[in-house]
Amino acid sequence: MSGGFEVIQAGIQASIQDLGRIGLTQIGVSRAGALDEFAFHHANKLLGNKYGSNMLEILLGGVKLKAKRATTFILTGAKVDATINNKPIEIWKTYKIDDGDILNLGFATCGVRVYLAVKDGFNIEQKYGSCSVNIKEKLGGKQLQAKEFLPFTCNCLSDNRKLPNKYLQNYDKLLIMRVVAGYQWDMFNHEEREKFFNTLYRVTGQNDRMGYRLSGDKIVSTCKGIISEPIAYGSVQIPTHGEPIVLLKERQTIGGYPKIGAVIPVDCFRLAQAKQDTHVKFKLVSLDMARDINIEFYKFFKEF
Amino acid sequence: MKLNYSLGESFNVASVDSVIIYFGQKISESVAKDVRSAFYALKNAKIESITELVPSYTSIMVTYNFLKISHKDICKKIDEVLRVVDKSCSENRARLISIPVYYGLEVGLDLQKLSKIKNRSIDEIISLHVDKEYFVYVIGFSPGFPYMGEVDPILATSRLANPRAKVPKGSVGIADNQTAIYPQSSPGGWQILGRTPIELFDTSYDGFSYLKVGDRVKFKQVNKKQFLELGGKL
Repeated sequence: MSGGFEVIQAGIQASIQDLGRIGLTQIGVSRAGALDEFAFHHANKLLGNKYGSNMLEILLGGVKLKAKRATTFILTGAKVDATINNKPIEIWKTYKIDDGDILNLGFATCGVRVYLAVKDGFNIEQKYGSCSVNIKEKLGGKQLQAKEFLPFTCNCLSDNRKLPNKYLQNYDKLLIMRVVAGYQWDMFNHEEREKFFNTLYRVTGQNDRMGYRLSGDKIVSTCKGIISEPIAYGSVQIPTHGEPIVLLKERQTIGGYPKIGAVIPVDCFRLAQAKQDTHVKFKLVSLDMARDINIEFYKFFKEF
Repeated sequence: MKLNYSLGESFNVASVDSVIIYFGQKISESVAKDVRSAFYALKNAKIESITELVPSYTSIMVTYNFLKISHKDICKKIDEVLRVVDKSCSENRARLISIPVYYGLEVGLDLQKLSKIKNRSIDEIISLHVDKEYFVYVIGFSPGFPYMGEVDPILATSRLANPRAKVPKGSVGIADNQTAIYPQSSPGGWQILGRTPIELFDTSYDGFSYLKVGDRVKFKQVNKKQFLELGGKL
């Protein structure tokens, strides 16, 4: 039986995301997909969903939905005051919602992106191999609109599941971003590298699904611009103004600024939850270590 | 002829799941041909665990499933493929594609200005653009956006000082010695000469993009009536 959510309030910027489009970077399509995979995968796992099932990524909150028929859902990610029919509910915990119930989200108090997943995901057709909305390119759909209907198959879990507290993250804490050296690493001399890894940077207001611009000590490279080349996920671009930009999933596919290396995926997930003025620091890790840390993360969710 | 790269020097880490391979330090058609040969060789080799192959002017970035394979092993696999590529044989496969363009003043937003700056008639400006055959170096920036080169030196012009908030879909423009087409309307600073009715990015195309890296492109001037008949919008 099918049901769905009727959107009463669409919030600031909410969009359907899965793990994004794979294999299209070569024709200028960025991958997109859920920015905080920690919250994303836990939501699917707690609901017993297929790996990578789509869900709503909600920037800051402010979304109000009315259920048409029942489903089991979960909120993960940023801490937000949420209610069903004005009764407070917890995040990181599954709930059943019934026909006619109103789910209301306040605004995030810790972290910036809330994930709302339903049992088996929303019934949304893929475009170019994914349900993800690329907001900048207006590809794969649009950001959530009031009066829109988000269809789901009515399927409820018999019990409520909750993420054990030991897994919970504090999104406000100083964020250490582990970086593998790469790309134009050699164009930054020893002093500049030292400065890069010793500076306490601050997240600026210029942050979105494309990337996060940081503010702090300026880094200088010997390079005056490079021939445009492909940009990897997590790349730390150092433009002429000298302040780093960490590029995330909706980044441009190619670019001509030097890059000192790339932040590892699990730390990009955390960065995507950092609000303005959060302090961040970079830390150099070896490629092998970076790989081990990420394997540790993914093997919890997926067999490979 | 062998590709110009070496396993030790040309392979750089880009991130924990990506490696970038450089085939030269300057933009040239010869380096671009190496990139193209390597790109298609790697594509056809269908190496398991490669998720993205992204060619650009002088480089290719390979993104792989790092959960399954290490940096060292993927580099070895890539090298095994590239070592046996003979770039002379892949050249014949380049497609030549003709793209109709309407160079009317109502769509060629910068035609009149360029004619003044270059001290050439509008017809001469159009001829300079139409007479040359271009090579698709890169598809990037936005979905299906082709960077093509090189335009006649007389025509080469830097980007607008103030980019337009909205460049109409299908606009054909130049920036420095490159020419390109805007597949969607978007902000942009290229000097606009005309407009094509061709869709560059669509689900109906195999691979979604009308053009592919390495294609040869020739623009064909059409009049307003033909432009509209082909589905062009003013």
